[in-house]
Amino acid sequence: MTEGPLLEVRALKKEYDEGRIQALRGVDLQIGQGELVTVSGPSGSGKSTLLQLLGGLDEPSSGEVLYRGASLAGSFDLDAYRSRRVGFIFQAFYLLPALRVLDNVQIPMFEDRCGARERRQRAEALLEEVGMTHRLRQYPNELSAGERQRVAIARGLANDPEILLGDEPTGNLDSENSAKIMALLCGVQSQRNMTIVVVTHEAEVARMGHRNIHLKDGRVVAG
Amino acid sequence: MALLRIALINIVRRRLRTSLTLCGIAVGIAAFVALVGFSKSFEREWLRLYESEGTDLAVVQKTFLNTTVDETVGERIRSLPAVADVSPIVLNLMDLTPEVNALAYGLAEDSYEIAPLHFLEGRRFHANQPEVILGEILAGNLGKKAGDMMEIQGASFRVVGVFRGGSALETGAVMMPIRQLQKLADLSGKVTAFHVRLRPPKAGETAEQHIGRARAAIEQAVPGLKAVPAADRAHNNQFVSFARSIAWGTSLIALLVGALGIANTMAMAVFERTREIGILRALGWRRWRVMALIQLEAAALGLIGGVLGLGGGWGALRLLASLPMTANIAVGSISAAHAGEALAIAFVTGLAAGALPAWRAARLSPVEALRHD
Repeated sequence: MTEGPLLEVRALKKEYDEGRIQALRGVDLQIGQGELVTVSGPSGSGKSTLLQLLGGLDEPSSGEVLYRGASLAGSFDLDAYRSRRVGFIFQAFYLLPALRVLDNVQIPMFEDRCGARERRQRAEALLEEVGMTHRLRQYPNELSAGERQRVAIARGLANDPEILLGDEPTGNLDSENSAKIMALLCGVQSQRNMTIVVVTHEAEVARMGHRNIHLKDGRVVAG
Repeated sequence: MALLRIALINIVRRRLRTSLTLCGIAVGIAAFVALVGFSKSFEREWLRLYESEGTDLAVVQKTFLNTTVDETVGERIRSLPAVADVSPIVLNLMDLTPEVNALAYGLAEDSYEIAPLHFLEGRRFHANQPEVILGEILAGNLGKKAGDMMEIQGASFRVVGVFRGGSALETGAVMMPIRQLQKLADLSGKVTAFHVRLRPPKAGETAEQHIGRARAAIEQAVPGLKAVPAADRAHNNQFVSFARSIAWGTSLIALLVGALGIANTMAMAVFERTREIGILRALGWRRWRVMALIQLEAAALGLIGGVLGLGGGWGALRLLASLPMTANIAVGSISAAHAGEALAIAFVTGLAAGALPAWRAARLSPVEALRHD
């Protein structure tokens, strides 16, 4: 589909607190179409910061992130990038508590120009894909942690993204549910040839990617 | 699932706060509906008064502070060819008992304005005599009938008749010889206005042309005075202007309190839901859509509060229409235009109150918002 990498990071730095905290200290990497990449490292190594920059949630202090060769900086439409190209899964699930499962999955579809019926049908199909058909009308607080993450994955896939970014998606799950969620993500990746980047501090999860990038003190030390 | 549905879900999830906010805006709208509705009823009764008497023009002072006119100019107005009849009138608001006050009309015995009154008992008053006639509602409130005596500001008057008029401003009023009211109000030689009845228009002349020509002739004949069409006079006389100012002023204060309630609720909602807003932004919602969601919630609060206030205001108007002191003026119903005006004000108030919180929500950085506890 593309000759170059899908995502590329060049000399990426991110500082907080007027430079007193350096989360990323010059990261270079490339991620190709259809790769399942895990990013591991100890707490404070810059994993989540890297993911936020890849997803266009934040802007780097210097360096750049490129999507299909185009820099996410400047006039790049980050809202459109997040709504059409990228899906997110968070450690804390971040489902909207006042909305039912079926409604939560439809949230990313609002930027698509599709009608309410189509949104609903797509959400039902996605929830079937993650095995949550029986919980459509439940609220997030009525679900187990594993079920919530399944719903979050369905929501992450809602806008049919090219890239799925997971920030410690198994961090709040027991080992059994972690394995199930990772198996689900691997299945999604292979079925859709989707690019998935998963940040994790669990060695077992890190080994499940096609490639593991290991960060330490804001720098890539392996991968 | 539509954006409106998410907005309504968000409103319902904080029931107590939403209820209190709705109370605030509902009180504001109820005050608007009741007070402005009452002042409109008052204005309508003035128009009915002029229409039932057949008055075309009112000749009054041009200046606002000087509200009386020398009564001698009446003859100059009467001599104009377009004028059929002139009725000098003194108008005052008087305390008849500690509980009851009423409009008092001082009129000439042969005024054309008395002719349309339907006498339920007695007769019209005689010129210069200490006699009054009472509108039927006022007579009922005072418990007076023809032949009874009553005291008005220290002077004794005989009730010589009870009448039914074309307007509530008459049926709740007392009328007496103009000299008597001039004496009571210390307005010797002065009148409040001259009511003028015009001759029919010339052939081919429209009503507007006819009235315009008569106004010009009168204003030329009596410099310093202005001739106001009855409808304008009904809309702009000092009683109506005062009632309208009080009604709008009070309503605006109440609406401001309601708007502050909505602004506070939405500001709190944005603060409490910062992370949720971050989630929406992370999931690709554009700034304008976040703003639209907050604005929808604020506007829905305004509109729901408006509907509740409409009900409250209607109840208050019905109450006013049933009380003896106000029954002659208040109408216990709301016109579609007034209801629409109230709902539009509620809607716009909600939008205005939600604007700043919505703008702040839209400006949130997704990553900062996601970090919010």
